[in-house]
Amino acid sequence: MNRVIIPIALLLFAGGVVTVAFSQRPWAPRSDVEQPIPFSHRVHAGINKIPCQYCHEYARRSSMSGVPPVERCVGCHGSALLGGIQPITRPWTDHRQPPFEIRWNRVYALPDFVKFVHKPHIWAGVACQECHGPVETMDRVVPVYEINMGFCIDCHVKRGATQECFVCHH
Amino acid sequence: MSEGLSRRSFIKLAATAGAAAALPGCEPAARKIIPYVVPDENVIPGVPTFYATTCNECRAGCGIVAKVREGRVIKLEGNPADPISQGSICARGQAALQGLYNPDRLATPMTRRADGSLQEISWEEAIHQFNARLQSAAQSGKNRIAFIGSSQGPALDNITRLWLQTWGSERLVFWERIGEEAARAAAQACFGRRDLPIYRFDLAEAIVSFGADFLETWGSPVEYARQYAEFRRPKLRNGTLSIGKCAYISPRLGTTGARADRWVQAYPGTEGLVAMGVLNAIVNQGWFARDTEIDLGALKEFVSGYDPHSVSEAAGIPVEVVTSLASWLGQSNSALAVAGGDDLQTYIAAYLLNAVTGNLGRTLVFLEDSPPEALTPPQDAAEVVQSIHDGQVDVAIVAGGANPAYSMPAAWNVAAALKRVPFLIWMGEVPDDSAQAAHLLIPTHHPLETWRDSHPRAGVHQVGQPVMQPVFDSRPLHDILIQSAHLAGGTAGQQIPWENSADAVNAAWQQLQSKLAPDTNPTEFWSQALRTGGAYQEAQARKVTLDQAILRRKLQFRSAAPENLMLAAFPHIFLYDGRGADKPWLQEIPEPVTQIVWDTWIEMHPETARQIGLKQNYDTRYLYAGINVVEVSTPNGSFEAAVHITPLVRPGVLAVPIGQGHSAYGRYAKDRGVNLWAFLPEASRSVPVQVRLTEKRYMLTTPLGNSDMMGRSVIEAMSLEELTAGKQPEVEREAQEEMPSGPYEMYDPIRYPGYKWGMTIDVNACTGCSACVAACYAENNLAIVGKERVQEGHIMSWLRIERFIPSPEEAHKAPNLYLAPILCQHCDHAPCEPVCPVFASVHTREGLNAQIYNRCIGTRFCENNCPYKVRRFNWFAPEWPEPMHLQLNPDVTVRGAGVMEKCTFCIQRITAAEIDARTEGRELKDGEVITACAQACPTRAITFGNLNDHNSAMVKRRVENKPRAYTMLPQLNALPQITYLRSIYHTTENL
Repeated sequence: MNRVIIPIALLLFAGGVVTVAFSQRPWAPRSDVEQPIPFSHRVHAGINKIPCQYCHEYARRSSMSGVPPVERCVGCHGSALLGGIQPITRPWTDHRQPPFEIRWNRVYALPDFVKFVHKPHIWAGVACQECHGPVETMDRVVPVYEINMGFCIDCHVKRGATQECFVCHH
Repeated sequence: MSEGLSRRSFIKLAATAGAAAALPGCEPAARKIIPYVVPDENVIPGVPTFYATTCNECRAGCGIVAKVREGRVIKLEGNPADPISQGSICARGQAALQGLYNPDRLATPMTRRADGSLQEISWEEAIHQFNARLQSAAQSGKNRIAFIGSSQGPALDNITRLWLQTWGSERLVFWERIGEEAARAAAQACFGRRDLPIYRFDLAEAIVSFGADFLETWGSPVEYARQYAEFRRPKLRNGTLSIGKCAYISPRLGTTGARADRWVQAYPGTEGLVAMGVLNAIVNQGWFARDTEIDLGALKEFVSGYDPHSVSEAAGIPVEVVTSLASWLGQSNSALAVAGGDDLQTYIAAYLLNAVTGNLGRTLVFLEDSPPEALTPPQDAAEVVQSIHDGQVDVAIVAGGANPAYSMPAAWNVAAALKRVPFLIWMGEVPDDSAQAAHLLIPTHHPLETWRDSHPRAGVHQVGQPVMQPVFDSRPLHDILIQSAHLAGGTAGQQIPWENSADAVNAAWQQLQSKLAPDTNPTEFWSQALRTGGAYQEAQARKVTLDQAILRRKLQFRSAAPENLMLAAFPHIFLYDGRGADKPWLQEIPEPVTQIVWDTWIEMHPETARQIGLKQNYDTRYLYAGINVVEVSTPNGSFEAAVHITPLVRPGVLAVPIGQGHSAYGRYAKDRGVNLWAFLPEASRSVPVQVRLTEKRYMLTTPLGNSDMMGRSVIEAMSLEELTAGKQPEVEREAQEEMPSGPYEMYDPIRYPGYKWGMTIDVNACTGCSACVAACYAENNLAIVGKERVQEGHIMSWLRIERFIPSPEEAHKAPNLYLAPILCQHCDHAPCEPVCPVFASVHTREGLNAQIYNRCIGTRFCENNCPYKVRRFNWFAPEWPEPMHLQLNPDVTVRGAGVMEKCTFCIQRITAAEIDARTEGRELKDGEVITACAQACPTRAITFGNLNDHNSAMVKRRVENKPRAYTMLPQLNALPQITYLRSIYHTTENL
């Protein structure tokens, strides 16, 4: 009996490997991404009602929405001495320190063959939440939707937007 | 079933285990987002920034615009504000990017150990050694230091000069092998000033070029190509339609000859003699201009002895050619004679021709305030080299890509001199032939990383700004020199008041401002210059008169046909004097006339090939470029190379391209082909040779199938008479291929409601310069595959310059060579679309034939079914050795192995423009979208636009030129969206 089962088992195992290897989507949004600092979108966008594009300022002008420069953080947090907001991380207020970079971990990523552009979506009045979910309620951003082609096309059909392959895949 | 484990749970387990095993290996690499700490106000990530600067790839001085994305330059384009480039640059200029990102650039300073190997050292150590060596050399006496560099513009050259003075030396060479000496010396002899003139090809009605390949490498090719297209544009003159007549005198056709009416195959080195024959005929026929103040008696005396008969005999051309060229020059309202090569006498003869026919000041113009001479005359350079030979130099410095060991005349024996010098310092980018013997190697910035200025001609001042942060750990050459001069101190050292080269350029511009625009605000002047690339003014023409003394000068020409075979070397259109060889685009784009890539070849006429015993017959249907190796013996030694048999070279002449044969200079150039400079005499590019056929075989590589249109009309041409009569030329088509009576549709025609993109290509304006091909490589991330794979039929160019040789029977009613860009025709009935099993090849609603990479499974059916052969398959995963990948356009997918790709009409540019227009709530304007090829074309042969807009320049162009319009292979009913306009030629009877 084993002579039958073992080859089949191996075959299945290999099949499993192949299926998973080809079906996994390395660019799918990751729900397990931890960030280097405990930044909370709930506090900023939810409680304090800071508009998304105050920080992600390139969204209406470019393909990428942009992650705010450290200067933008310091703009509010650095003015603590003038009665501003208490900074939660001390070094930002210390101007004698060399400027440092924050290495955020990417939550949303698209493969190279998808040329998504934020700009027309913002101008068409698509709310950020329609793709990114209720970020203003999240402390740590986790994806709500899996952003695959079906997700894009559904919305494009609903809104009567282009369904041309070439617009995104070029 | 066995005991314990049910079949079902076993399958589950197996699959889960498989998944578990696969997961860790496939986890995406941690991707980081690192935002700016303090953002640059003017930079929006994802939106390109453009910086105006200048091209440093040749002496023409084109202004360029660098497209920068996220801090790295991804493309170079011509600067529309610049009067020389006017928005276009050639393939060489665009490939400067690959010099910047060259993976073989020196990464750190190096010193040579006693055993000859190189050792990395720190910058402090390198600078210390540099200055210590200079110091000890300066202490041992005057003129113990020699500097051989290339001219980098007035401000930086000034630094070099002052720096060398500080160290007490005068031995300074700004070297350029394809130099200006002959043109300047002839101007001195004829007009009393060593100025370079400007040429107006567009104002001439007839052009005779005595060996000047002005559409390839001579002078300012972008500018001349633009002017030449205007010259060849059909115009009404005195009520009749006409185009300019051009003759090209050279043993090799070249693209200049391809676009000329007459290719005069004189022996190499007899161009000047032919010019004298033409001058003689003009004088004797009385065709000279009456209003010139030339002493006729002296002129008659001067040209006596050059009667057309003896001249044509010595040059090996028919006598009527000489007389007819004389009538062109003498009887046209305006004409232009230009001289090429390094021979002083040819230049004198050509200047005289222009003066005698009254074209001085019209088509050949000298300007007031011409820039001072930058290059060192060859005889002075030779003196410096001799001083190195004589042991009078302790420290020699080779810098700025001058590469004297490669390009200085063989007789100077520079390689030996550089070996002899006690301490040789090499400063540059990619270590070249001259770095081989260097004791200290210092990496310097690429011109695109440096502050520079440039003053190519009167009225044109350009500023070159760095377009990105340095790619490597290099420093600006002139910063090193300034610091070194400060260290030396002394009075001359105090003359360098600047801290670095940026200050020096800025200071030079302040001076310029006080001269050019004293009323403006200096800051405003400077920022205006940065924005527009420079300060441009109308230059005043200078009235020059012929120095009559020249007519008493005795010119010496060879008086009889050569007995031996002659070697005629020509600068490769892309590799130029050899500096292009480290740039893979320039190696892989086929040389337009031979279509050969990555090599040195010997062009030989079928007759000559038979003479030397080659049994291979000439046949335009050859599927390979050449295979037989011959040994060529010159007075300076011998070399071997494979023969390319072609009718496009004079019998008895071997035409060989210059530019390969580097002993170093990076992976793309090293040990490839032959360095022709090593075999050429000082002021000539031809030499008598002996040729021996060897048994060796070496395959020359071309991506071209053959040189014959096989009875199909792919590239069409028509005579001027046909155009005047407004009738379509009769085109022979294969008998079995019936022409459809009109567009044939089986189904309802598809409507394209919005935009419908199309292109009009004026073949008459195409010079085959391949700037479009280079632009396509840069814009669309096309991969380089290398010689071996091109040999296997693999090349990734979406756009190619196709060339066909007219058969001898039709030669009298055909252009010298058919040349045209061929790219995806974006057919309405695209044959590639129905055969794709996965709909990867689809038609868009804007009329584009799209290729969806992520859907493609690589069946290659589409490629088989494409009648234009414009689809390219990725047989291998493309590779970009670091840091060349930094050049990739982020808006275009990098295709992987197994994927088909093709021209997209630059969909990324269309999409970007459409998004801009839509967000602004408007329609696209005509000319808002321009493809990379159309942008790059120096002659504006390519127009891109919306077919649904009847006022677009593209539609207008095809409507206005209706008699010339045709589509390629119309019998296939593929309905291409590219309309070509036939090239126009003069029939032989009407020349």
